[in-house]
This record gives sequence, C-alpha cells and structure tokens, in this order.
Amino acid sequence: MKRYFTNRLLLFVPTLMGSLTLVFFLIHFIPGDPVEVMLGETASSVDKEALRQELGLNQPLGIQYIRFFSALLQGDLGRSLYEQGTVAELILSRFPATMELTLAAMGIALFVAFPLGILAAVKKNSLMDRIALLFSLLGLAMPNFWLGPLLMIIFSIELGWLPVSGREGLAHLILPSFTLGMLMASILIRMVRSSLLETIHEDYIQTARAKGLSEWRVWLKHALGNSLLSVITIVGLQFGALLAGSIITETIFAWPGIGRLTIQAIQTRDYPLVQGCVLVISTSYLVVNFLTDILYHLADPRVSYGP
Amino acid sequence: MKFKPFFLLVFAWVWVSLAACLPSPRPDRPAGYLVIALESNPTHLDPRYATDANSVRIGGLIFNALTHTDQHARLQPELAERWEAVDERTYLFHLKKGVTFHDGKPLTAADVKFTYESVLEPKNRSPRRATLRLLKAVDAIGPYQVRFRLSAPYAPFLENSTLGIVPTGTPSRGASGKNSLIGSGPFSLEQFSPGEKVVLKANPSYWGGQPGLSGLVFKMIPDAIVRSLEFKKGTVDFIQNDIEPDNLIWFKKNTNASILTQQGTIFQYLGMNLDHPILKILEVRQAIAYAIDREAIIRHLLKGLATPATGLLSPSHWAYERSVPRLPYDPEEAKRLLDHAGFPDPDGDGPLPRFKLSYKTTTLDLRRRIAEAFKEQLSRVGIELEVRTYEWGTFYGDIQKGNFHLYSLSWVGITDPDIYFNLFHSSSIVPYGNNRGRYRNPEIDRLLERGRNSLSPEERKQIYSRVQKILAVELPAIPLWWAKNVVLMKRNIEGFVPFPDGDLISLKNVSIASPFPPS
Repeated sequence: MKRYFTNRLLLFVPTLMGSLTLVFFLIHFIPGDPVEVMLGETASSVDKEALRQELGLNQPLGIQYIRFFSALLQGDLGRSLYEQGTVAELILSRFPATMELTLAAMGIALFVAFPLGILAAVKKNSLMDRIALLFSLLGLAMPNFWLGPLLMIIFSIELGWLPVSGREGLAHLILPSFTLGMLMASILIRMVRSSLLETIHEDYIQTARAKGLSEWRVWLKHALGNSLLSVITIVGLQFGALLAGSIITETIFAWPGIGRLTIQAIQTRDYPLVQGCVLVISTSYLVVNFLTDILYHLADPRVSYGP
Repeated sequence: MKFKPFFLLVFAWVWVSLAACLPSPRPDRPAGYLVIALESNPTHLDPRYATDANSVRIGGLIFNALTHTDQHARLQPELAERWEAVDERTYLFHLKKGVTFHDGKPLTAADVKFTYESVLEPKNRSPRRATLRLLKAVDAIGPYQVRFRLSAPYAPFLENSTLGIVPTGTPSRGASGKNSLIGSGPFSLEQFSPGEKVVLKANPSYWGGQPGLSGLVFKMIPDAIVRSLEFKKGTVDFIQNDIEPDNLIWFKKNTNASILTQQGTIFQYLGMNLDHPILKILEVRQAIAYAIDREAIIRHLLKGLATPATGLLSPSHWAYERSVPRLPYDPEEAKRLLDHAGFPDPDGDGPLPRFKLSYKTTTLDLRRRIAEAFKEQLSRVGIELEVRTYEWGTFYGDIQKGNFHLYSLSWVGITDPDIYFNLFHSSSIVPYGNNRGRYRNPEIDRLLERGRNSLSPEERKQIYSRVQKILAVELPAIPLWWAKNVVLMKRNIEGFVPFPDGDLISLKNVSIASPFPPS
C-alpha cells in the first residue's frame, strides 16, 4: 500500500505539469494583451513595447514557458501584472475564503444528504422517501445563480435572519455554503439511498438481523458502513465540482475567494495570476482525490492497492 | 484504526451547526459610516497607478491634486492656489500653505516634484507616464512653488495637474503596502481588502473642513441583483451608476430610495472599420446612422437612462459644439443612401440583404440585447448583421488590433478635448493610438495639431468646434448616446452633488440627517 501511495504522490507532478501546460498555452493563445490593461489606453506604442520586453512577453512562447517553469521550480509564482502584490500573496489572501466556503458547503451537503438518504432508504416508497427524492430533484434543477438570490430574498430580506452577502462573520457563510452545497447534497441523497438499498439485501445483513440486532443498528452500522465506498467516490469527485462551482457562488455572494480572483485574472489576461490560481485549484483537487483513496481503505480495509 | 463514519458525520453536523449559530464578530457598518456598493474592484488606489474608474474615484477622496475638474471639465484650484503659463513651455503652480498629509507632515513642493518624477521613472511602470511624455523637468522653487518645464508646447498638459500627490518617499507599484497609502484628502485609508471592501476614515484635520461623515465603506458586490437586495435590506446606503436599467423600476416600486439622474459624460458610440471596402463609403456610414433608432433603444432597453449623443463631448463640456448635423432615425433615407451608394436591395422586402457585416460585442446581457436591437433595425434597411459576442478580454483584444467590422464601446472620463487626437488623428491609428477605425483626414490632423499647441482657450474652443462639425458629417464613428448618471441613496443622506463624470468628491460634504430608516 505504501508503494501505491508513493506512486500516487509521484503522479501529482506530471498531472500538475499537464494542467499548467494546458492552461499556459490556452491563456496565451486567446486574444487579449495584459500590457494594454496595465498601461491603459493612452500609453504610447513605444511604452507598451518596452513593457512587453521587460515582462518577457515579446519572447517566443516556448521560451516564456521554460522561464515560467524554471521560476516555479524555484518556488516563484511571479508578480501579478494587474493586482497589487505577488501571486503567492494574492492567492494566500483569497484561498482561505474559498476553502472555508467549499468545506462548509461539503459539510452542509453531508448534513442534509445522509439523514435524508438513510430515511429514504429505510422508509422506501413512503412519503418520507418521496420528499427526499423531490428535494434531490429540486436541488439538481436549481442553478446557483437562481437559488442564491432566492435564499437571500427569503432569509435576508423577508425574514431578516441572515446577511445578504459579503464575508464578515460566520453568519455570512450560511447562505453561500447552502447554495453551493445544494447540488452535492442532491446527488448524495440519491447515492446514499441507492447504495443502502443495494447493500440491505446482502446475506450478512440477514445474518445481522438473525442475530437479533435492532433494525436501526442493522441499517446504520452494517448497511451504511458497507455502502460508503460509492458515496466516498462521489464526495471526492464532487469536491472538484464544488471548487469550480464556487466561482459562481462567490460572485453572487460577493465572497472574496479564489474563484473571483481567477475570473478577474482571466479577464485582465494576468498570466502569472491565472497560472497561480490553476496551480492551487489543481493541487487541491489532487489532494482531495488522494485523501479519497485513503478513506477508501479506512472505510473498507479489504480494499487493497496492489502488492 | 477503526473507522467510525457516523461519528465523523456527527462531528461535521455539529461544526456546521455551531458555525451557523455564532454571531457575526464585526458589524457591517461602523457608526457614522456610509456604505457604498461597487460592482468592480478598485485595483490601485495610489493615483500614480490608478486606471479604473473606481480606483480613480476612491483615490480622489484620499489624495489631493494641484487642481480638479469641475462639472464643465474646467480646471479649478485644489492644492494650487493659482497657476500661470510663464511661456508656452513653462507652467508655475503656487501651492496652498498649511496643507498636511494624514500623518501630519506638511505637503510641499518637494512632494509634488517627487510624485511627478516617480510617474516619469520608467521602471515604475506608471500608466500615467505616457500623458507626461513632454514633461522635461519639475522644479521645486521654495516650499510652495512648483515649475513644470515641457520639451514642446502642449496645451492639454494642464490636465495632468489633476494627478493626486503622494508624500516624498512613497514606494512604487507593488512595493507599497495596500493599507499604507497616505494622502492629504478628506478621508484616509483605513482598510483595503481587494475583492472585498475599502474602508476610509474621515480626516478631522482636513484643510478643506472636516467631512460630515465618520467614514466610508466601499463594498464590492459584483452581482446587480445582490446590490439591489443589499440596498433593500439597508446594509448599503448609496449606489452610483452600478445599477441595471431594469432594476431601477424595481427600486422605485420596492424601496424608499432617493433617486437622482443627471446628464453624464460617458459616451457610447458605434465604431466602424474604415478600411473595410463597404464601410469606407461615407453614404453607407450615414445610412447606418439613419437606420439606428437610438430613441427606441434608450426608451426600452436603457429605461431612459441616456440621451441621444451628437458627439464625444457632452453638453456640459466647455468645448461642446451644439450646432452639428444630426442624423435622426430615418430608415427611408437610409435605404435611399444605400441605393445611391451602389447597394440596391436584391429582392425588395424579401429576405436577401444588400450586404452582410459583423458586429462584435461582449457577453454582458444588456450589450447582447442592444446588439439584437441593432441587428433588427439594420435588417429593416437591408443590412444583415451577424452578432458575435465575446468574453471581455477577447473582445477588447480584437478591437485594439482593429480586427472588426462594427463594434460598440464607450469613452469614460473625457476631460481635455485633445482626446480627439488620440481617437481620430492619422498618427493615432492602432497600435500607435486609439484610432481603431483607421480614420484619415488631413484637415482633422491639422486642426488637432493646432488644438494641442494653442494655449488660448477661445482659439481651442473654435478649433474643436470645427472638429466636431467635421466628424458629425464624416462619421468615422457613429455617436449613440451619453449615459445618464444614476444615484440611488437613502432619503436621509444630505449634501451629495453628482458630477457628470461620476466623481464622488462631494461625499466629503455629505451628512446623515437621522438614523438610517429601513427602505
């Protein structure tokens, strides 16, 4: 198993390099010029050319690519072309907000999905089951940019319980994390329900029942534990979707996270900042997938990863 | 290790539940502060590097300049008591005495010299450097006199006296801390959290009198609906221009807001590529101008928040020329002109067009709807318009390269009429300037050269009057409308005077009459 995890860790490097290479060429190939943004419309062509030279933007793309990677290997993500500060500083100032939102969304998704999924499975075809499935359907059908303002109108304007937007305190986290977590919750409800229903007909469940265990103990301890594998897979994959989905949620809720920073960086063709953001998002995704693999093993020790 | 998924789950529930129940550690609004919603993030508050409108407006509250522009784009004294042109290449500014920076240090000629020289320093990469290219030297003559020496006569130079002054030794771009900017204006910088908010604190010892508010909070709220909801809830007190026209009707119905509208200076135009074989024909350009129903677009899509434009300079500008030819909506005249230009309609009212053109715009919803209106209006005179929408960076990149048939953009922050040089002089054709349509007219070239060399305001007014008349006939770009400024504020806010260019400087005179009522 050790070897498996070492291999997985080593795979981080080519995966990250691949995504950074792809984004490097994509952002350079699309039209747009960071120098125009930096110097403004009144700048002379001489000044623009001088700045292009200073930033190395007039060099062949291959050379720029090599320069970027050699700086990266030395731990230098560069300086933002448009915003104030280095790329590392900017990302560090925004990343905690995104992680906070993503983790809270994940927490809410799990908080909603597990009880509803379990209840729906235990009380299959009952009213409770239908409510859970309807909730899941609604969550899948409602896009973030619609659900967010709807929640604001209900909980901030009409009821006055929560703030509308911004990141001032923990109360500000509730609506955006619910908005972001809703889609994941909807998928998970169905996953938990179907995995449980699949597991409940296994022989060992019948054995557990024959041992005289209570029905809830059978469901929660024996069935749920063994149906977790597929749920963990979805949670791991959905984390990436949450990070990507947070771009929209961050914009709606004026949440100063990395999603908004990435969008701004793309719009202003701030090449170093785009690369930095992609590096962080890709790394987070890889780390979560790695953790998912570890959880697999913990959830079911029978799962092995080769010799 | 034994795994207990259920306990992990319970832990997550408890954590989230606790998090949700905890109160906000910081209030949204410190006492006496006015909260202003902004759509986009100001990037550089340091006036030497500020280019976007929000940075310039917020910076204008933190820093003072030698002069500021009034509502007619005329220069008025600020840090300078007065100024004079010693000769056509030398200007002398006399500074006010007793002005101090926020840290208590006096503002002197040395600070003015430092500010301008740091802009001129190439390694500082100031976007303002290009406008100072003719500035040869800045001399501090004693503590309260500054002399600017130019390498050639250049009338628009005085426009540069609106650059905010920073204290000697202020670090350059990147090196300066976000929260350590010191100015001499009515407010000082308390907090700058990029992407989140800018907080300014009133400067009690401001030389122009203490502001009426304790401070200002500029909150970045990118989404228009959310800005509306924040205002409705009472957590935002003031919004200027960052309002979708459609939302204005909602505000009128659902809030108790005081709504001010005023003629603005932002100029929207239809740009054309004059190297295109069809668009280089004057009659075609005139036909397009006649075919566009500006009034209908303003009424239905912009909800009345604009005025049909006759040219770049708005009626409030000192150099505005009223008597220019206007091309009202007249589709029949457009058809006649197109027939005459050699583009007859192949099948009358049938589906075949006279010719096809493409129109580039951004993905913003309002811009797309305007594009659809243009498409429909032009199709009525037999011109087929293919609308292409692009993300902003791609769109702007194409426009700056001259890669378009038709597009629409706006000009913001027009002060000196020398802007015509940058837009229509043949030496300003992209990439050397912003003559994106590649317009060439020797008479315009001569007039614009005279305009920037003449120091006589009367003569300059005559020159630019002639320029406006020629351009209204030649139509290198079709004037569409001047956007109105819209200010939405709580009814108990007193003393705000909107500026045509959207300047927020009058916030220093604003006060709150009584506690904020719910809207």
